Amino acid sequence: MSPPPRPAFNSLGSGDRLISSTSGSPCVVREFIGAGGQGEVYSASLDGEEVAVKWYYPNWCTPSQRRSLEVLISKGTPSERFLWPSDLVSQPGSPSFGYLMPLRQKRFRGMTDLLKGRIDPTFRARATAGLQLAHSFLQLHAHGLCYRDISAGNVFLDPTTGDIAICDNDNVGVDAEGIGGVMGTPDFMAPELVRGQSLPNTQSDLFSLSVLLFYLFHVHHPLYGKRLLQIRSLDLKARIKLCGEEPVFIFDESNTVNEALPWEKDPTGEAGANAFDLWKIYPEFLREKFTKAFTVGLKDPKNGRVRETEWRMVMSQLRDDITYCPNRHENFVDRSARLWGTPPTEGAGELPPTDPCWVCSATVSRPPRLRLGKTWVILNADTQLFPHHIDPTRLYDYSQPVASIVQHPQDPSRWGIKNLSNRAWSTTAPDGSQASVEPGRSVSITLGRRIRFGTVEGAIAA
Amino acid sequence: MPRAVASRPLHFIWLVDASGSMRDDGKIQAVNNSIRDTIPLMRQVADDNPNARVLVRAVAFSSGARWHLEKPTPLDDFSWQDVSAGGLTDLGKALRLVASQLAIPPMEERALPPVLVLLSDGQPTDDYKGGLEALLEEPWGRSSVRIGIAIGRDVDLEVLQEFIGDPTIRPLQANNPEALVRSIRWASTAVLKAVSQPSRGRLRSEETSVTVPLPTPVTVSPSGPSSEAVW
Ligand SMILES: Nc1ncnc2c1ncn2[C@@H]1O[C@H](COP(=O)(O)OP(=O)(O)O)[C@@H](O)[C@H]1O
Repeated sequence: MSPPPRPAFNSLGSGDRLISSTSGSPCVVREFIGAGGQGEVYSASLDGEEVAVKWYYPNWCTPSQRRSLEVLISKGTPSERFLWPSDLVSQPGSPSFGYLMPLRQKRFRGMTDLLKGRIDPTFRARATAGLQLAHSFLQLHAHGLCYRDISAGNVFLDPTTGDIAICDNDNVGVDAEGIGGVMGTPDFMAPELVRGQSLPNTQSDLFSLSVLLFYLFHVHHPLYGKRLLQIRSLDLKARIKLCGEEPVFIFDESNTVNEALPWEKDPTGEAGANAFDLWKIYPEFLREKFTKAFTVGLKDPKNGRVRETEWRMVMSQLRDDITYCPNRHENFVDRSARLWGTPPTEGAGELPPTDPCWVCSATVSRPPRLRLGKTWVILNADTQLFPHHIDPTRLYDYSQPVASIVQHPQDPSRWGIKNLSNRAWSTTAPDGSQASVEPGRSVSITLGRRIRFGTVEGAIAA
Repeated sequence: MPRAVASRPLHFIWLVDASGSMRDDGKIQAVNNSIRDTIPLMRQVADDNPNARVLVRAVAFSSGARWHLEKPTPLDDFSWQDVSAGGLTDLGKALRLVASQLAIPPMEERALPPVLVLLSDGQPTDDYKGGLEALLEEPWGRSSVRIGIAIGRDVDLEVLQEFIGDPTIRPLQANNPEALVRSIRWASTAVLKAVSQPSRGRLRSEETSVTVPLPTPVTVSPSGPSSEAVW
């Protein structure tokens, strides 16, 4: 165990007044929210607005901590997904300090709740969370910053939508600029950091991102396989070995010393039974990325790691590859499966049968797709299209849907795509006849029909 | 989608000095209150740590030592009964008592490092070195994380440091009730957090279905001219 911090002999009390550095506004402490490794977090009100205050333990109230906070505050938040420090606060007569940040909304739940099985977001919500995580890391890195202490404890998500919020950003630092500070939780640190051979940088963050994503989809750590069963006391030393000195991916086909075991072989699940069950239900393109991240990526920080942009693409494809079995379980239509070959030409060729449902073994009927250039979107009753799909200048824009799937009001057996945008589409049938689809109108989902959304044309295929 | 939760046990043991001097200045009552007040905070920390299954026990020592809470108790069921003070400071006996329970069995083969928090206001009156040796003879005793809290100014800090073992962790000095509250809060939250870390998941045996409100699957209608296809 690393030396624990000194206790907080100066914790705040409800009603305490703090002074914020730049605005000079008084900030009144409300309630204690929780204690962390470096300080305590309270809710507070600042000019009538609810905010959160992180108040450091005395041993963390150092000039260097203050300076790095000042850097973060002046840089400003990379995006609204970060609960970013907005101002320093102090208490008259006390050498201690803290900082203000937005209060996390109630709709967010911890990634730890997901790991404890208290929330069970859909695959679509998980992929959305993954997409937002990758995007947030990209924005952070674009600001010349990197994480020193990212873990499941910092990531929060709205279980319904998959929206994320990233907490505890005070350990963000300037890329590759080492100061003593926190190094992170071995479970989420790149091996070269665990071994103490490198300082946190963008490459090490890419590793942490992969671990977070692996957890999100497999509810298990990618390096915790059957070797766990030999470890009595899972202390820091053991974690350093598993995550730093001798890391081996639990699905490394060329080295099975640490392979994931199924429930029959390890009823405790410590050796990765969760991951064992889930690994095979995802599309090949997801497995490929994880395999890269945790094989070559373990050893080659520069070239071996999966980049945020790659993850972003993978996550958005995952969202578009979900379909449902008759019992409403989500299943993936694997666009990378060899059977499917290259996407069939529009209207021609049928997709091969899908696998039985991974949960209930029911037959999963072959869903229609909307082909968009080289990619596609599976059309389910709850599918929505976003600017991401139909406007190449707005990739990864999922802010407002531009289309949804609807049933014909008079004939529910007829399905259509409804135009939720504010511009008309045009549509062409296989017989060449054309029509305009004004905002608010819908167009039938029929084989071979083409729909032009501005610059992008889609075609409906089986 | 899977549910999670496979975890390792994390044994957390309070060792409370219940010697006669703990009656002075309301010290024992302050300890009782502080431990009781910290329970919700411990629960919160445990909640945030998916891979730890926190189990609490307590030993009280005075003239002799006894389990004050013998059964390893999950935080959800844990409540604190007051310890009352009177007698000597038989720390050695307390350590032997803990050592006997850190043997395998009854301890699990695989676990997280146990946490032992010692609260004392004085000097041991028995062979504490022998007790410490017995504790450190057990593998789980050796790998435990040990915290010492000195209540008041009469404590032999050397003894606490010996108990702690790790020179980078110093005894906490609680010279007034506020400091005691904070030391106990810290030992039961920050230390707990430092010992438990992210985690192994567990698939529940019964599968839960995803509840996406979903009518019948989308199907493709027969092709027709565009004039009929827009509605
Ligand atoms: N902006 C915030 N709004 C609400 N709760 C927060 C906020 N920041 C942190 N918390 C909560 O406060 C507690 C301590 O957080 P933190 O100090 O960040 O922990 P650590 O230092 O261990 O990472 C946690 O329960 C965390 O969820």
